[in-house]
Amino acid sequence: MEAAALLELKGVTKRFGGVAALNGVSATVAKGEILGVIGPNGAGKTTLLNCVSGVYKPDAGDIKWQGQSITGLAPHRVARLGIGRTFQIVKPFGSMSVRENAAVGALFGSGEARRGPKEAFKDADRVLEVVGLRAKADLPVTSLTIPDRKRLEVARAVATQPKLLLLDEVMAGLNSVEVDEALDMVRAVHATGVTVVLIEHVMRVIVGVCTRAIVLDFGQVLAEGEPEVVLRDERVIQAYLGERYAKRLKG
Amino acid sequence: MIRVAGSTTLGRRILYGLGLVVIAYAVLAPITSLDAVQSLNPPLLTDRLWFRIATITAMFVTMATAWNIIGGLTGYAAFGNVAFFGIGAYTTGMLIAKAHWPFLLALPLAPVTAATFAALIGLPLLRLHGHYFAVASLGVGVAVGELVQNIDYRGQSVFGGATGLFLPILKVPDRDVFFFYLMLGAAAIAILVTWLVMRSRFGYGLIAIRENEEAAEVIGVDTTAYKVAAFTLAAALTGLAGGIFSQWNAFINQDNSFPIEYNIQMILMALIGGAGSLFGPAAGAVLLQLLIQFLGGTLPITLDLPFLPEGARPIFAQIILGVLLVVVVIFAPRGIIDFFGGRSRLSLAYFKRSLRETSI
Repeated sequence: MEAAALLELKGVTKRFGGVAALNGVSATVAKGEILGVIGPNGAGKTTLLNCVSGVYKPDAGDIKWQGQSITGLAPHRVARLGIGRTFQIVKPFGSMSVRENAAVGALFGSGEARRGPKEAFKDADRVLEVVGLRAKADLPVTSLTIPDRKRLEVARAVATQPKLLLLDEVMAGLNSVEVDEALDMVRAVHATGVTVVLIEHVMRVIVGVCTRAIVLDFGQVLAEGEPEVVLRDERVIQAYLGERYAKRLKG
Repeated sequence: MIRVAGSTTLGRRILYGLGLVVIAYAVLAPITSLDAVQSLNPPLLTDRLWFRIATITAMFVTMATAWNIIGGLTGYAAFGNVAFFGIGAYTTGMLIAKAHWPFLLALPLAPVTAATFAALIGLPLLRLHGHYFAVASLGVGVAVGELVQNIDYRGQSVFGGATGLFLPILKVPDRDVFFFYLMLGAAAIAILVTWLVMRSRFGYGLIAIRENEEAAEVIGVDTTAYKVAAFTLAAALTGLAGGIFSQWNAFINQDNSFPIEYNIQMILMALIGGAGSLFGPAAGAVLLQLLIQFLGGTLPITLDLPFLPEGARPIFAQIILGVLLVVVVIFAPRGIIDFFGGRSRLSLAYFKRSLRETSI
């Protein structure tokens, strides 16, 4: 392995009633990479993210952060260790301005980053610059467009100064121009030294920005490797488009 | 409240001016009743009735401001805060009446007991959200009052039972002045504490919880600890008011220490004034308390209501308060303080917009 593993998942399993949303998922995230997590609807991508960030407690398996187990830790504890996340359905602090949203992220978050309100607001401006919201800092959240709200979601998470950022479908619902802009944003965030895990449906995103990809299907890891290679994998095509289409493509 | 700094506007100047006049009058008027000052023959700005109304108003400023910490900033509609008032009253009352403690030693224990109770009850209670929390907290508020009245030990009521507790009258010169300033001090402490909270990381965390608890949690806010801390802080301040009340009134029972209508009134005051703002609840408390006294006919200026049968005034006051609440919640959901902060102007357009936003 070229770099030390930041995050290590071993046999992570999460059941909802009789359904195993995650069934023994093992994976690692190396420092400095942009890892794409893809898979059809219901494959367990968001559940995986929820298990890592502490929103769900896995039924089995172990999650290690820099060598230490964080399985079942409360979300705020995970956040303070340096794991930031966004929500697929954005959850802004509605009565605050854009800057205030980012500032609250800077006030809390990872242990080393915690600081007083004054510095937090300075941090907020820096982060808004990175995600491209600097010009809209004083606007109320309610006046933002959907792509901007997704940016804000990322800004608030980045403001917590995470070592690892988990992005849950930040590009879903965006048009192709907006996706390009969002890709630039992810690259900009990554350039500040943050390791990124990206959950996406948009294949162009995975190929465009990810250094590695993991494919989930029915709660299990189906394939793993370089994005271009993984996307050409027969099993992956089958999972997404069905058996018949995969055969036709082959024949 | 974290707000975009606005320029000084006319509304803000008017508010500050009015506030200063009210505070100056409230602080200075009692001095005219001191014996030493009266020998100089100044105009008497106060009488016993004035002191009663002013002290009660300060008491409600304390309670509404305290409620604002859990209800306004954190967004948890606590409907049982009167329990903390009663616990404060009974703590100080019991220590004075049964253990013969001096008042100034018994008073600090009122907020301590109320806060301890809130911390214990808050852990399970604050796991509930929305209506569930509101109803559960209301239940606690009622239950504590009933318990205090009905707990017996070997056939003897522990807390004075239905008879209540009689406290020896505190021997200080100018009792009215003393208790007014004490209650005013409690109100000032409540506002100061809120101010400190709102500038701190703690305050930002509380607002984040109100806005979106899940998002607050994943950016690193220890939501459980923060909620319990906010609840405890509100309880301590409310308990302080209760402690002062018990010695001031020198008699406490379930009716005057756990009145259910206090729950509604403190929330009403915070909402009408502006929940989540620093001075809103205090402004709401002054306004509403004066309105309650006015409708109740205790103010020098009274409303002549020939159509009301004798004794129907309190009910009439309740109706007016109810209507007022509905109107404010629909047309000015951020409270009257919103017109004075330089953010919004009092206009028909404002009411129309509010109506649109609040109607589903």
